[in-house]
Amino acid sequence: MTSAALGLVFREASGRIVAALASRFRDLDLAEDSFADACARALEAWSREGPPRDAAAWLYRTAYRCAVDTLRRRRTEHRFAPELQRNAIEEQPLPDEWTPIPDERLRLIFVCCHPAVALDARAALTLRLVCGLATREIARAFLLAEPTLAQRLIRAKRKIAEAGVSFEVPEPEAWPERLDAVLSTIEIAYGRAHEDAAGSGPHFNYAAEMLEITRVLAELLPHEAETAAMAAIVRFAEARRPARVDAHGIMIPLADQDPAAWVGPLIADARRYLERAVLLRPRAPRVLQASIHAAWCARRTLAEPPPWSEILALYDELLRVRDDSIVRLNRAVALAEVRGVDAALAEIESLAPRPLDDFLPYHAVRADLLCRAGRCDEALVAYDAALALVATSAERLWLERQRAALTE
Amino acid sequence: MQYMLLIYEDERIYGPDLESPAARERRAQHIAYSRELGATRLAGSGLKDSTAATTIRTAAGKQTLHDGPFAESREQLGGYYLIEAPDLDAAIAVAKKVPLSQNGAVEIRPLLVPG
Repeated sequence: MTSAALGLVFREASGRIVAALASRFRDLDLAEDSFADACARALEAWSREGPPRDAAAWLYRTAYRCAVDTLRRRRTEHRFAPELQRNAIEEQPLPDEWTPIPDERLRLIFVCCHPAVALDARAALTLRLVCGLATREIARAFLLAEPTLAQRLIRAKRKIAEAGVSFEVPEPEAWPERLDAVLSTIEIAYGRAHEDAAGSGPHFNYAAEMLEITRVLAELLPHEAETAAMAAIVRFAEARRPARVDAHGIMIPLADQDPAAWVGPLIADARRYLERAVLLRPRAPRVLQASIHAAWCARRTLAEPPPWSEILALYDELLRVRDDSIVRLNRAVALAEVRGVDAALAEIESLAPRPLDDFLPYHAVRADLLCRAGRCDEALVAYDAALALVATSAERLWLERQRAALTE
Repeated sequence: MQYMLLIYEDERIYGPDLESPAARERRAQHIAYSRELGATRLAGSGLKDSTAATTIRTAAGKQTLHDGPFAESREQLGGYYLIEAPDLDAAIAVAKKVPLSQNGAVEIRPLLVPG
């Protein structure tokens, strides 16, 4: 087996094994370190004898033994430390060849996305522990230096250990708040992947992880409308990725994308998740967001008119359950097409600008509307504000082209 | 585990008079809340106004006495509970029910030494 193939085996097994160990030993560092030890032993053993039939089970058993050894060693070292006495390890039999690896990933997701964990660390921690991404990869996806991200992960793990974050799936009464924290984490994580329209950049693999994690979550919580909706949203958006950039590497806005280039099977997959979500709670915010994606993805050819009226109606409904500046901004785009540019501009100007000052789409949408209203000077200023914020090349090229068209 | 719940409010809403309507009302709520907590509550009390506070600051090993609280802010530390809870979620559930005025905060801090 090549080392690349081994790496793939390790990564695929990682989430389940780390989750099982973490929930058994209530210690994230111990779980991660033991899994790393098991991988190191596997490299050595498998190069001699070849990999075993069930590589994941082998890794789990080995990691489990490493964890127990570490705990025993710690106990001898700190015989009198009272806090270590709680790890009653002796009574538990070691897993044998036939012990299935318990699926504790849901627990681990709830631990990583606990509201007591810093918001900017939750997504990174989930990607690290549940998806098994390397710190280096996550740092690249979040456009952070690796030591900065590593520090953030360490702080988050320390907080979880020291504040006594529970390793249980929360009680039903805490459910709405906690599930929302999980889904917002995934939204942030996916947002990072989605910003990069070309998909050739560092986010490319990371979007695949988002497909996987939303699939797992929808499978583990089959009766929650918003987990199914989240799985649908990520699939609809990923399905359109091939059409988001033209041959020159310039971003193509949604309404100008050729539906023929969209990935049919992913859209079909997304629709199945959305159908389930709609049966459960058709008016939940994320279900409405998924429905907006579905309306776009129903378009078959560029000759067909874009479904602006339907989109606007869905945004009107969304506004009733989630009234925030970003929903209003997105709604304004549809409003411009259905009721005219002036109505949309009035709506945008009524938004408090300050919280959106750093929000690239705010300036991009505003620039486009101002330009269409014939207010060229203001549009130029808005394009400059957008260009000052843009981080990826496809978006930059598109904005530059729009701006250049204004000055011609 | 043991957790300290630190209660921060703008003390001006109670005024200096312990028998002001606002102070009496909140006190009654705390008494009811403490009764409800039962064995979960290990200790707790309100604190006198931050004007009664004295702070010893140490800078470069040298101690100086100051009149007033450690941190000047819009909200002041006005009381605490020490509770026993199995984990953070349980502590959060207890802390969410701490009687509080319209604006304020409860900080949850685990004790260093496990109880």
